[in-house]
Amino acid sequence: MRIEYAVYLDKVVKDFGKVRALDGLSLRVRPGTVFGLIGPNGAGKTTTLRIISTLVTPDSGEVYILGRKLPEEKDHVRPQITYLPEDAGIYHRLTGWENLLFYAMIYYGKTPEAEEVAKYGAQIASLPEKDLNRKASEYSKGMIRRIAIARTLMLRPQLAILDEPTSGLDIFSAYRVRKMIKGFVKETGSTIILSSHNMLEIEDLCDEVALIHKGKIVAEGMPQELLRRYGGRNLEEVFIALAGGGE
Amino acid sequence: MNIYPVIWKELKDMSRDIRTLAAISLMPLLMMPLLALSSIYAQGLQPGTVIIMDEDRIEIQLGNGTIISSANLTTWLKNEFVKTGYKVLNEETGEFDLEIKIPKGFTKNLTLFNTTAELTIVKNVASSKSQNAEGIARNVINAFSHTVAELKVKYLGRLAQISIYPPSVLSPISTYTELVRPGGEEATYEETVQIALSKLLAFSLVFVTTPSIAYITDSVVGEKERKTFESLLTTPLSRSAIVLGKLVSASFIGLVTGLADAAGLILFFILPSIAYGVNLLAFFTPSLILAHITAVYVSVLASLALIMPIVIRSGSYRTAQVFSLIIISAASIVFFISLYVDINQIVPAAKYVLYILPYTHAVQMIKVSVFGDLTSFLLHLSAAVAEILILIGVAIKLFNEEKIIYSRT
Repeated sequence: MRIEYAVYLDKVVKDFGKVRALDGLSLRVRPGTVFGLIGPNGAGKTTTLRIISTLVTPDSGEVYILGRKLPEEKDHVRPQITYLPEDAGIYHRLTGWENLLFYAMIYYGKTPEAEEVAKYGAQIASLPEKDLNRKASEYSKGMIRRIAIARTLMLRPQLAILDEPTSGLDIFSAYRVRKMIKGFVKETGSTIILSSHNMLEIEDLCDEVALIHKGKIVAEGMPQELLRRYGGRNLEEVFIALAGGGE
Repeated sequence: MNIYPVIWKELKDMSRDIRTLAAISLMPLLMMPLLALSSIYAQGLQPGTVIIMDEDRIEIQLGNGTIISSANLTTWLKNEFVKTGYKVLNEETGEFDLEIKIPKGFTKNLTLFNTTAELTIVKNVASSKSQNAEGIARNVINAFSHTVAELKVKYLGRLAQISIYPPSVLSPISTYTELVRPGGEEATYEETVQIALSKLLAFSLVFVTTPSIAYITDSVVGEKERKTFESLLTTPLSRSAIVLGKLVSASFIGLVTGLADAAGLILFFILPSIAYGVNLLAFFTPSLILAHITAVYVSVLASLALIMPIVIRSGSYRTAQVFSLIIISAASIVFFISLYVDINQIVPAAKYVLYILPYTHAVQMIKVSVFGDLTSFLLHLSAAVAEILILIGVAIKLFNEEKIIYSRT
């Protein structure tokens, strides 16, 4: 059962001192889907994604990623996943190309395959060659995000975890990033789990959605199904209704 | 362990930070010669003033016809002070560093056989040159006193009608110092100078640890603050690869600093050599320079290994830098002790405590290299490397992704 899912979290609890970040959270993500995690600030989205990305160990509950149990089997999981944290930076003194190559070498060593993977990353980022060979310190925020997302997707992971991939971007950059994600899913059929505050983005990108509030999943399903089930015009209204009027 | 990408990335990053690299390598190259220049010429910028007040100014003929006068002593003193750059006055006008008062009756008492002559040295305690001036005065007065004593002994011998060799009365015991190595073999004068140099070289290690520590702080805390660390931690890179990759790269900075420091030290000694006509460079043997560079590398690696676990858990630059200062201070204590103490000969309890620190072995590596003691050199090198490896092991053990992410910034 657990190994059928790309992500399987069951009754996960995580405390930080006196603060309970996750309160018995359960989540299932089927392979090949784009799964969206929606919730307000402090709801537990980032903690959930960090647990899925092997960085954080829950205090209790079960976690299986790609059929492997965490934290015991995290060394087996890491080569198959990639993670883009919220506001992830890139190395400013390296060029865009070198940033991609660095990540490729982590997975493939100093091999021709690493070069190929980095080239694929450049293709995903779709930056002109002139820009790719400039130091990242000269990049705009949108260009930095495109390189960061490209380095996450170029490795063709079985599971890509994206924490607020369009956060802080202007509408053109955000549109480009969404296009990159869609193109990647179409080409590889990988599983993507992403979080966002932007309900329109979630509706646009995701096959399935989970609403998280105070460390628990309060609703889960396909966007249209949730709209039908809770009678909202959009996911924002559904979420506000479920979270108790935005309290 | 796939350490290559980490080193590749760190070195690329480092090579593009030209300003930091230039500052690190130019600092010892500029500071050491400036230190030498300031020590040579700063004294010239502060001319000392000595007053010689001779209230006696009489001549007395000793029985054998020799004339003795306070004026002779005044002339000797004046010549020596002028030669060493002092301004000499014969009346009290304003501030002075040292005053020598020769009272009335000085010459008479000097020639008598039942008393001694007295003069007064007045020393300005606020003056940084008074100590040096007093030393010059005492040397001249001792020489003059000895000359008068010889004349008096010769005179007495003539009265007694016996042949007297004055040193047999004035200094009947003569001594000769033989220089030996710790093992008892004969040592050379060059080795004595090299020992003094080695203490200075050991002390100079204090200047080389700081840049690498600053680099590793930025390499870890900077990654956290620039939000690149979290992605890196989810990759298949092992924590050993991350820690070792960063340490090896930062130690490259240490090597650059070490070479620059060695070059700076050579410049430090060239300038006094030119100024004083003593070729100090001749005492810098290739083995001493090589030992110094190795000690620099060991000290840098030790500092990096010590600071790494702290930096990994530090949330901010401020915390990391405070702890860096503590590490640098601990190292400085060892380097400072080595200036005055022969660590190998202190009481065992203190010695073994000091030997826990890799810095102590770095100091000893330089010192034993003076006598070409390769065995001791390798022993200290091995001990330092072993301690560094233990520290690296601790750093890897303390490497905890969750604590790194949630350490407060």
